[in-house]
Amino acid sequence: MAGAVQLEQLRSASDLGAPDVLSLQPGRVTGLIGHPGFGLTRLGLVMLASREQLGPVAYLDVRGWLSPPAAWESGLSPERLVVVRCSDPVRWARVASHLLEGVGAVYAEVPARAKPAQLHKLVALARNRKTPLVLRPVQGDLPSGLAHLRLEARQVLWEGTDRGHGRLTNRKLVFEASGKAMRGMTRLIEVEDDGTNALRLVSGLAAAPAGRATG
Amino acid sequence: MRRREAEAVCPTVATIEHDPGAEMARFERVAVAVETLIPRIEVVIPGLILAPVTGAVRYFGGEEPLIDRVAKEIDAVAGQGFRLGVAAGPFAARRAAEIATEADPLYVVSDDDAFRAMLDVEALGSDDMAAVFRWLGISTLGELAALPREAVVSRFGPDGLRAHRLATGEDRATQDRVIAADLSIEEKFDPPLENLEQAAFIARSLAHQLLEAPVMQGATPHRIEVEAEAADGAVRRRTWRSADPFNEPMLAERVRWQLQAWLDTAQLRSGPGIRGGLVRLRIAPADLSDDGRQLALDEDALSAAEAQRAFAQTQAIVGNDEVLQAIPQGGRDPGERALWYRWGENPPAPERDPQAPWPGQIPAPLPALVPPDPYPLEVEWDAGIPTRVRLGTRWVEVISWAGPWRKVGRWWDGEYPADRYQLVTSAGAFLCAVVQGKTYMAGVYD
Repeated sequence: MAGAVQLEQLRSASDLGAPDVLSLQPGRVTGLIGHPGFGLTRLGLVMLASREQLGPVAYLDVRGWLSPPAAWESGLSPERLVVVRCSDPVRWARVASHLLEGVGAVYAEVPARAKPAQLHKLVALARNRKTPLVLRPVQGDLPSGLAHLRLEARQVLWEGTDRGHGRLTNRKLVFEASGKAMRGMTRLIEVEDDGTNALRLVSGLAAAPAGRATG
Repeated sequence: MRRREAEAVCPTVATIEHDPGAEMARFERVAVAVETLIPRIEVVIPGLILAPVTGAVRYFGGEEPLIDRVAKEIDAVAGQGFRLGVAAGPFAARRAAEIATEADPLYVVSDDDAFRAMLDVEALGSDDMAAVFRWLGISTLGELAALPREAVVSRFGPDGLRAHRLATGEDRATQDRVIAADLSIEEKFDPPLENLEQAAFIARSLAHQLLEAPVMQGATPHRIEVEAEAADGAVRRRTWRSADPFNEPMLAERVRWQLQAWLDTAQLRSGPGIRGGLVRLRIAPADLSDDGRQLALDEDALSAAEAQRAFAQTQAIVGNDEVLQAIPQGGRDPGERALWYRWGENPPAPERDPQAPWPGQIPAPLPALVPPDPYPLEVEWDAGIPTRVRLGTRWVEVISWAGPWRKVGRWWDGEYPADRYQLVTSAGAFLCAVVQGKTYMAGVYD
């Protein structure tokens, strides 16, 4: 139910003019680009949570670092989240393809040595099976033109902490959205995360002038 | 071989598209011929029929007279090329028919157990699983049946369970089972339907209605009976069967194939199809899956079987210990607050009460990434205040920080006290732990 709430909030934000970038669409491939620490894992988990009503969702964990409590905070229920750990790039592609054929949505960390041909095959399979796929490279970037929607983290601002006081509470993540899903435009989008499962698009920034055309 | 490869080898090759509907239309004559002798036959795929012969054997005075009649009937409508397998169970009968040859089209199994035991593991129908079994030194179903079922299930998941059941003869029987209530779905058409595309659309709609019906309670059928009434009043029935429970696309597909067979045979006057169009279509489920599940309100009915298959295949690739789920439990560190267990197993009881107060617990939001083993982190401290963090090759200034949250270690187990800090930098926020003067990375707020 938490997933439904957050999706509703995202939809209401998109009604304000921002594209519906944070909800996973059948067969759409979303690329999350940025260093660990920018909050992209949490963003991906929220995206997964919006699809868990349709069946179990899978997190393909290359590093073995995923912390399930953060996933539960993001709206995923424990019984719907299956974590698959695989660091070998050859087996990783096989595992990802099997997952795409059976589960509601897949969040896959991409190992550093994954080949572009493997990624293109996975994208084709995701499109064919109409399974949403979120790709998060552990290092570097994705091959160009691979993802329908490319979200690259630009800035993260944390609130709540001071010099030894308080605790982390709110986070503002600014990222650049581009790709076919953005109709060739590049936009800056800000997401507010108050530590619960409710990410919120800030419409003002989302309606910022488009950057250079891509694709 | 792929089509492109085949065309490269032989440029003049003609490619014929696989059309199960057309196949079923041609096979319908055989089904009707067998049905005149043996009631309640079940079609598995176009070209394969399972027929319970107990009653027919009594009626015709033995197996041999019955088989002779069946062979003559099939020969009359379809010519040579058929194969018959006779056994006590459907699985053995199907394998027996596969062993039969065109020259000797009948294979009778006298002892199902002995027959199954000598079958190659390929008979399970999964090349991947057969390869793994062979690699483990198991080449026949007899050797597989001798293994403890728990061990097979632990290694191969639901597919392993199904394989072990087949190897030990626990196949689904072809006899009718009692259905508690009338779960059938019916649709009447006026004017009669003669267009296959319309019929296919109706089939899809009925399949959806059937599987989503509240009385089904999330259960899925392994057999369905398709009943169609023609405009001339004739009623045709056919039972379809599947090893996996029918999902919506599978069900709609079978109904469409069957309707195409009936409509085509009527048009070509090659059999008693549906003449004058279709006025009533009824789908009745049977042999409901024992492990029927309660679907969520908006859950896709086909997800469970596919997801199970996907995770079982994944387990076969990466091992059982790498396909995991977790449940909440109590603890002070983020890593302690999840109890992992293997997918497919029952969740264990939490080792620590998640509802109990945990003094020194890190507050929410929790870091999304937690290294399995905290690793050293270079942090510059100035009079107890963190000033810079080394991330990779560069030093990043600490913008703000919170903590410490003190965790008193179990000194009797050799654990030392730890002070946990939340550090905020321009590159993100991190959780670090200071133990005996050394700083460790304990989590990334990613």
